[in-house]
Amino acid sequence: MGDVENKPTLEEVTIHVSITNSTQLVNHAVALSVDHEKTKTLQSHSSILTTIHAGYFRITISLAAQALLWKILRLSTDDSKADIQRMFRTLPSMAFLLLWCLAILTLVSLSFLYVLKCFFHFDMVRAELLHHIGANYLYAPWISWLLLLQSAPVIVPKTILYQVLWWVFTVPILVLDLKIYGQWFTTEKRFLSMVANPTSQISVIGNLAGALAAAEMGWKESAIFMFSLGMAHYFVLFVTLYQRLAGGSRFPAMMRPAFFLFSAAPSLASLAWTSISGAFDTVSKMLFFLSLFLFTSLACRPALFKKSMRRFTVVWWAYSFPLTLVALASSEYAKKEKGGIASVLMLVLSILSILVFLGLMTLTAINNNNLLRKTSDFY
Amino acid sequence: METNKYVGESTEQDCPETPALIRHVNEVIGFDSVQDQGAIGLQPLNLSSKEIETSISQSPSDDHQRIQSVSISMTPTPAEIHLQNTKQVLFDRLPDSNGGAMSASCELPKPAKFYSQPIRRFFQDMNSEFETIPVDRYYDALEGPELDTLRASEEILLPEDKKWPFLLRFPISSFGICLGVSSQAIMWKTLATSASTKFLHLSLTINLILWYIAIALVVAVFSIYLLKVILYFEAVRREYYHPIRVNFFFAPWISLLFLALGVPPSVAKTLHPALWYIMMTPIFCLELKIYGQWMSGGQRRLSKVANPSNHLSVVGNFVGALLGASMGLKEGPIFFFAVGLAHYTVLFVTLYQRLPTNKTLPKELHPVFFLFVAAPSVASMAWAKLQGSFDNGSRIAYFIALFLYFSLAVRVNFFRGFKFSLAWWAYTFPMAGAAIATVKYSNEVTNVVTQALAVLLSAASTLTVSALLITTILHAFVLRDLFPNDIAIAISDRRPKPHRKWFNIRNLSSEYSKDIEHYLKFRDSEEKDFEASVKPPGSEAESV
Repeated sequence: MGDVENKPTLEEVTIHVSITNSTQLVNHAVALSVDHEKTKTLQSHSSILTTIHAGYFRITISLAAQALLWKILRLSTDDSKADIQRMFRTLPSMAFLLLWCLAILTLVSLSFLYVLKCFFHFDMVRAELLHHIGANYLYAPWISWLLLLQSAPVIVPKTILYQVLWWVFTVPILVLDLKIYGQWFTTEKRFLSMVANPTSQISVIGNLAGALAAAEMGWKESAIFMFSLGMAHYFVLFVTLYQRLAGGSRFPAMMRPAFFLFSAAPSLASLAWTSISGAFDTVSKMLFFLSLFLFTSLACRPALFKKSMRRFTVVWWAYSFPLTLVALASSEYAKKEKGGIASVLMLVLSILSILVFLGLMTLTAINNNNLLRKTSDFY
Repeated sequence: METNKYVGESTEQDCPETPALIRHVNEVIGFDSVQDQGAIGLQPLNLSSKEIETSISQSPSDDHQRIQSVSISMTPTPAEIHLQNTKQVLFDRLPDSNGGAMSASCELPKPAKFYSQPIRRFFQDMNSEFETIPVDRYYDALEGPELDTLRASEEILLPEDKKWPFLLRFPISSFGICLGVSSQAIMWKTLATSASTKFLHLSLTINLILWYIAIALVVAVFSIYLLKVILYFEAVRREYYHPIRVNFFFAPWISLLFLALGVPPSVAKTLHPALWYIMMTPIFCLELKIYGQWMSGGQRRLSKVANPSNHLSVVGNFVGALLGASMGLKEGPIFFFAVGLAHYTVLFVTLYQRLPTNKTLPKELHPVFFLFVAAPSVASMAWAKLQGSFDNGSRIAYFIALFLYFSLAVRVNFFRGFKFSLAWWAYTFPMAGAAIATVKYSNEVTNVVTQALAVLLSAASTLTVSALLITTILHAFVLRDLFPNDIAIAISDRRPKPHRKWFNIRNLSSEYSKDIEHYLKFRDSEEKDFEASVKPPGSEAESV
């Protein structure tokens, strides 16, 4: 990426400026042209830093969730619908490893860029924290790390590494919780009815991801703690979002793909509860059905998303991971039910999820200049 | 003919924005003072695309001071007046005291039957003309706990003092009577077959009779409404866009579910599961639409339209879950239970909040509030069937229902003084539901208290239904106003411009100045509107 060259380039430019200030016309033209190129590269480098915001972590969440889906699909041991399982097992393990490596690479580089942004443009990061939409996306890196941790092919839950990493990724989520949830009912300006918008569900997803990872480890109390924290706030948020109080801030039409978060939260809650209680019981079933209903309800309204589909932006990645989470929940459901409809449902949702993911990858590859074009500071 | 010439003259006028329909109605009905042909003729009428016709009043009205009514039929073709329809173009004869009759070329008075044709054509031809009526229009034009009373400042598209065709007067809330009677059938079946009420020695004959009556009613109401859908689709559409009536679109399917729940054991012991899927499909499709509107629709969001009738949209889920569980299905009932539970909590919180931006919540207690009891009682029964026994979850839901029932019952005094409407039948099924849930609870916890409670609630439900039956018969045969003109479907899609002459004539100067005051106070205060708890009548506070 050439970030390391940034610093020396900066100094070089200043030196050039000071030289051109002294009237040396012979070097002036040369210096100017070199200067111009250098400033262009400098601008492009710093523009990447200024363009990158927490919303770009949608890509990494989608990659991590997709990796988790592929892992679960390959490892599911249902025997009754053997032909379906066989089909999924043919997903070459190389493809899964490739995906996982791609996911971790993207996540590492994006995190690195974001850390750099914190150093160089901390005021922008701070502005993100204060924005009602941008603040929620600050959970996104930690969710991606947690999901990647779960889908890791080598790290086994119960090892010390897993536990340490869990703490590393969950503490920031808790800190963000304290800040954002506390704001909901105590501040004068940023209380819930003003700031509630569909992306607020990402905070709930963060808590639930932490609960899921903890339950995988066997840490039941922490899992229940995160779960109840997430669900309590989810309840309040769900009601508020459904009410669509008039006094709330406007939600831009470009962000409409984020409506699919409505189906992401219950799916993840269903998965987390399954891990906590040990089996896919009635509560998990109800949460899964709710997410299925909300997903169908949104999928039947293509007109809602027309405005946001005019131009490719990073927001389009918001279609992918809710769908993947619903597919994951349906795989748990199919594992429990072993019936015809459940397996068909899992099949349909998984294939849909994979197709959407591949489609988005292709679109991103084609439109990568669009991707980095600045649409907004926060989303 | 003179008439046509007169009409033809007016066609050369410009077409103003306001539907001249409204203005014409304003003028015609509002006129008390001397008019002559010229005065009326001078009003610019948008006649190039409409025909205007009136009919001679049917009632003996020689001493009536006003022109009786105007019935308008509209055609979408912006052509000139069809001369072959001259026989339908009539002008009323002005009473002599007001200075001369109008055009002398009136046709013979038409029979009342013919009157229905222009209205039907009006509705039939209207289909493509108008877009969705925004929900604000309903709020601006109507008032009352069931949003069916016209505000004083509004005009409707159909004549007010004429009896409209029966189908137009048949609202969707008539399905409430199916709900009421079929829930009674279920209640008597439960009373006769439950172990804890065996001491009453009731026979299943009552259930059988009620069930057959319910079937007859359902068939009757379904077919009448189907006729309405075929003949007056526009009226059905307008009912669908009405923020309260839309919930009654669930009522037909819920009554079918009730019929299946209350089927007498002598008729059928078990029902085929496929029947359940068939019955739940319309409910599912309606839900997708309506809950999606709550979540994403701009003008029909829940904070604005929430009202107790929304319970009808939610209770269908629980009834379906109950029926499916009693048929032995598992997954489908759990699906609907989950969806119903999630949306019920949202609705419950919203209604309890009584948000200031909520326009439909009646300020006074009204029988519609009994719908609050419906969802928890049916949910408790559904959960009991799903789990196999009346466990803690069912008990929690049941106790909530019981509490709500009692908190409404002790306020029964405040339920008086409302105009009876057929929709009240829909509010009786929660009482039956609470009674049935009590019987199921007393099956689990059998002691004197629970049994007495079961008997008490069943008696209350039966009493209410009988009283309602008597009132209905009274209104149907004695007072003959069981189906009054359904104002709610005939509101204009634009607010009528206040006309100076109209106000003078109606002598509303004092009220008018009050209106102005309210208008000025609340016109642009969108933020203040959030805080304002009093909504002034007839104010023009725009919705946020």
